[in-house]
Amino acid sequence: MQGFSDIMQRLYEMTAISSIGETPAFLLMYLIAFVLLYLGIVKKYEPLLLVPIAFGVLIANFPGGGMGVVQADPSGLVTLPDGSKEVIWDMPLHKIAHELGIMNYIYYALIKTGLLPPIIFMGVGALTDFGPMLRNLKLAIFGAAAQFGIFAVLIASLMLGFTPQEAGSLGIIGGADGPTAIFTTIKLAPHLLGPIAIAAYSYMALVPVIIPLVVKLLCTRKELCINMKEQDKLYPEKMEIKNMRAVKIIFPIAVTTIVAIFVPTAVPLIGMLMFGNLVKEIGSDTSRLFQVASNGLMNTATIFLGLSVGATMTAEAFLNLQTLGIVVGGFLAFALSIASGILMVKVWNLFAKKKINPLVGATGLSAVPMASRVCNGISTKYDPKNHVLNYCMASNISGVIGSAVAAGVLISFLG
Amino acid sequence: MEYIGTGLMLMGVGMLTVFCILLIVIYGSRLLIVLVNKIAPEAAAVEAAPAFNPAPVLEEAVKQLTGGKGRIVKISEL
Repeated sequence: MQGFSDIMQRLYEMTAISSIGETPAFLLMYLIAFVLLYLGIVKKYEPLLLVPIAFGVLIANFPGGGMGVVQADPSGLVTLPDGSKEVIWDMPLHKIAHELGIMNYIYYALIKTGLLPPIIFMGVGALTDFGPMLRNLKLAIFGAAAQFGIFAVLIASLMLGFTPQEAGSLGIIGGADGPTAIFTTIKLAPHLLGPIAIAAYSYMALVPVIIPLVVKLLCTRKELCINMKEQDKLYPEKMEIKNMRAVKIIFPIAVTTIVAIFVPTAVPLIGMLMFGNLVKEIGSDTSRLFQVASNGLMNTATIFLGLSVGATMTAEAFLNLQTLGIVVGGFLAFALSIASGILMVKVWNLFAKKKINPLVGATGLSAVPMASRVCNGISTKYDPKNHVLNYCMASNISGVIGSAVAAGVLISFLG
Repeated sequence: MEYIGTGLMLMGVGMLTVFCILLIVIYGSRLLIVLVNKIAPEAAAVEAAPAFNPAPVLEEAVKQLTGGKGRIVKISEL
């Protein structure tokens, strides 16, 4: 009988049940994972990102599974399973895989090196059409106004006691751009990567809720009924684009050069975004590169990024007051970015003859193209013939450039 | 609170940089469009494609979706 109970005891210890029983925080992490899976699968909120992230959270929190990402302390030390400490940067990748598991291998080889966010940006570039922005160049300036939320939340976070690096990573959530938020956080505050990525992608998924909320608070019915096509007829654009294809091919090369000269730290993001766009615009000669950038490579990068970012959310790293601050601060950053875009349009309308629908300002944050689609839905609700999609896309796309530049500034000063 | 000055400085520098870069992009793009219009306006105009009439396609789609019961009354441009 003694032998039998020994076997049962060892069987019990082999399973994760004993550890879960000792640390109920794991149960809360499973709940978070299930809620995120529900939002991704049933509510279809950004499923391509939320599903891998949520599944990463789930598998990282099974004790003994070895799938949780082990964060190094500021001096680079990590605790190995045998209790010894080693500097992660001195460990070869095969040793990381052997000692800490494959998720840490993926994290330290692909995420911590900053490789995947630019690759995803390349895919985003390959899927982006700069045509609406080039046709409505004036509207692109609202992509700058909408970056205010980033810096406002940075200051608020500093007041709450976050370090400047942590505050910069928190503020960048207001850029509404997942890869940019991840890239900045890797550079400034890698220990906050999990909660910041979750907050950034969750709020991007909640764009259909947050934008209407801010618009309702700040805009009147009359403003939302401003018909941009009518305004175009009243005050037509003087400049005509005779050769759009040539302009679209030169544009990514020119923008990369400009950004590289003024904000070199933003080049990994802007450069890859514009390279992806260039291979798209060249056409059949580079169609094979375009296919890889926009499909295979981007999807592969998304899987690895989603799973490993989710795996950074282990119970001990996630369940603390700092995470709560990130969730609240991220929402503020998002809402302030939308609000500042709207307010800039309102100020513009005070002085300009050609009025602009404030929804164009609301899309100054990134979240392409969902923000534009949501704003088009709002405008057609007030007037079914008032389609603002193309106009919103102008500020929406410039918002991607704006948030990458803001990230470059933060990395330059705080990195 | 000791970092508030850093935060305000970052806000000033950051917003100014973003505005400047986007202004350069906007006016640079305008210049690009002017130059392209001058140097390489669309070469030979492509032969105009025959006007596309969406009615038969829409009628067929409505027919299939409604099992032949539905019909299009009016098609108007938004």
